[in-house]
Amino acid sequence: MKKSQRKKRRTVPVPIASMGDIAFLLIIFFLVCSEVSKDKADLKAVLPLSEYVEKSEANVAARVAVDETGQIFLDGFPVNSAKDVEYGVRALLANTVADDQRHVQFKCDANLPKETFEPILRAIAEAGGVIDAVGEKEQ
Amino acid sequence: MAKMSKQEKKHRTGEIPTGSFSDIAFLLIIYFLIATSLTKLKSITADLPSGEKATQTQTSKTPIVNLRGDQVFFNDKPVDMRMLRARLDALKLAEAEGNAKVIMLESTRDTPYQSYFEAMATISESGGVIAIVEEE
Repeated sequence: MKKSQRKKRRTVPVPIASMGDIAFLLIIFFLVCSEVSKDKADLKAVLPLSEYVEKSEANVAARVAVDETGQIFLDGFPVNSAKDVEYGVRALLANTVADDQRHVQFKCDANLPKETFEPILRAIAEAGGVIDAVGEKEQ
Repeated sequence: MAKMSKQEKKHRTGEIPTGSFSDIAFLLIIYFLIATSLTKLKSITADLPSGEKATQTQTSKTPIVNLRGDQVFFNDKPVDMRMLRARLDALKLAEAEGNAKVIMLESTRDTPYQSYFEAMATISESGGVIAIVEEE
């Protein structure tokens, strides 16, 4: 009888009182460190390859994407033409002062012809954006 | 009756139940983990000046990269991307200033974005500024 009582006393409960605090600290960490994605995650596009692409550290002011069908997206929303991109990017860059703040991410399918992507590149340049063309590293 | 009301008051001054706080917090963490992207995309930064339209005579001495489908020409001579890089490096674009940095980029209608991207990457890596040639 005595032996069984001793065994029961040895089962120490795990302290979980501070779990909530730890969890909320982790939330605050994620809130501070993360950036809500404005990318169109399900963009159907084969990215171009180059040996010169590098991880971009620049803060992107706007995101322009063109999928394999030629549909243009500005910050995840579909737009009709390169002119819409120009106006949109111009508006987004209106309050910028330095070149570092004018980076515009450009994602485009590698197989699209010139008449689809060149007007968009020109539109971004006309709006005052510095183009960050997204690609993949060529092995 | 008086006893009852006292007892009721005691019950009312209870603590806020915090038992489920950790569950809520971990659910929020899972939400943030799913909704945020920690991956950094790889890209090239291309410098394309805007609002400048030069005439053919002014730009006749400017080096030109022509893209005709999958073929690349530098000053009308066929090259591959490695040769193009070597030619551009020879121009020492990184040390040049103003218009001397400008490389014209012309392409035919059937040029895919892959070729265009490679040419832009090569010119940018050499320190050049890309001027897109517009068809009339």
